[in-house]
Amino acid sequence: MDLDHLRQILALVQEHELSEFEIEQDGLRLFVRKHGVAHHAPAAASLPAAVPAALLPPGGAVAPVAAASAVEAADTEIELAIVKSPIVGTFYRSPEPGAPAFVEVGSAVKKRQVLCIIEAMKLMNEIDSEYDGEVVNIYVESGQPVQYGERLFAIRAK
Amino acid sequence: MTTRQRELPPEFVEALDHARARLGGLASDVRFFPSTGSTNDIAAALAAAGGHEGTVVVADEQTAGRGRRGRTWFSPPASGLYVSVVLVPARAKVTPDRAIGLLTLAAGVALAEAVEHATGLTTDIKWPNDLLIGRRKLAGILAEAVDRRPVPDTRERHGASASASGSPEPLRGTDVPSNSGGGGVPDASEMDGAPREIGNVILGYGINVGAMSYPPALAGRATSLETELGRPIDRALLFAETLASLASRYDDLLAGRFDAILDQWRERGPSSIGARVAWDTPSGRRSGVTAGIDERGALLVQAGGQVERIVSGEITWL
Repeated sequence: MDLDHLRQILALVQEHELSEFEIEQDGLRLFVRKHGVAHHAPAAASLPAAVPAALLPPGGAVAPVAAASAVEAADTEIELAIVKSPIVGTFYRSPEPGAPAFVEVGSAVKKRQVLCIIEAMKLMNEIDSEYDGEVVNIYVESGQPVQYGERLFAIRAK
Repeated sequence: MTTRQRELPPEFVEALDHARARLGGLASDVRFFPSTGSTNDIAAALAAAGGHEGTVVVADEQTAGRGRRGRTWFSPPASGLYVSVVLVPARAKVTPDRAIGLLTLAAGVALAEAVEHATGLTTDIKWPNDLLIGRRKLAGILAEAVDRRPVPDTRERHGASASASGSPEPLRGTDVPSNSGGGGVPDASEMDGAPREIGNVILGYGINVGAMSYPPALAGRATSLETELGRPIDRALLFAETLASLASRYDDLLAGRFDAILDQWRERGPSSIGARVAWDTPSGRRSGVTAGIDERGALLVQAGGQVERIVSGEITWL
């Protein structure tokens, strides 16, 4: 799925006045919602407006989509393959203190490449990527505790 | 530095043969290296290449022996026992999650038992599995795994999900229990029920056998069997005993005899009760007094009027 593809989808969502749209292709899931609609719901109205920019990888290739949607005054939300913690433990981005991180935002990763270590009961669990793709977000700082199911990485799958 | 496999020295072969009936599925394949970087790395490579459960790697010297978080494990030639074993605790019959979590405690118990059987020396286990004599470290364990469990998609898609589906710290502060310990992480029991895909665990251990000239950083913090006992120790016998004890405790683990492991651990882990510890959390350093281990092996610490369950992170014993 490339940028033009994303633009087409966003255009379709706009054109057909869809409030939500979801597509899954080659391991990448894209979920788009127009907040103009959702804001009428009380649950959403009680929340501060979602800030799509926070969802997007800094400098990532999908950033222009946010700009485009902002112009169209329709907040969009883009979802990528999310790597979550399979256990409760401590998250480490590098094999040891001072060593380079396994991956950075922008790193190209291969399937089964190690992304991080989560320590639990002094068992060092290597968490690897299920996809070939690019790391577009890292949600947790090294050395922080993580809960079961907590988001660790967003990967834009190829 | 060369990593060349050699034939297992004859005294090791003999010791293994004597212990064979107690080795269970362990040590059917034993690889000996006069010198290698890290036995865990060799074992991991063997496992990845299709090596099977129970494969053992033993080295006379490690040039890059390591402990938790890249700490050096001083491994000079002919002075210690440096061993790694390929295990698959996820095939435990009962609650594999609990078995995986207790593996490192079971290994600590096994090493303490092996040292006692082989030398008569009683050691203390410091949570989760360091072997100490007094405050000096005799043996350490480093367990490494590749975890491939798929995490069920728990995403919410409506209402509040807008902010939960991608803000930098979506769950922290909302889903983290109030007793969150930070650097020492509280356990959650929701792990059971998740599909298990964890595979090989590489369990590495090092035991200081001979008196060594430790680097200054270790002086006063490490000890060895020969230093403590004042007599030579048969490394081959100790090697076979560690594998026999490990086989026995691993069998307990796979069969769900968790209480046998925990009871023995508690007996050998005096500092898990009534000792002052400190640990770092995202909101600063905390301290408390140890209050035992629970049924999943988590360290309980009484701190500020509540009990924290610690499963990971850096803990300092004060």
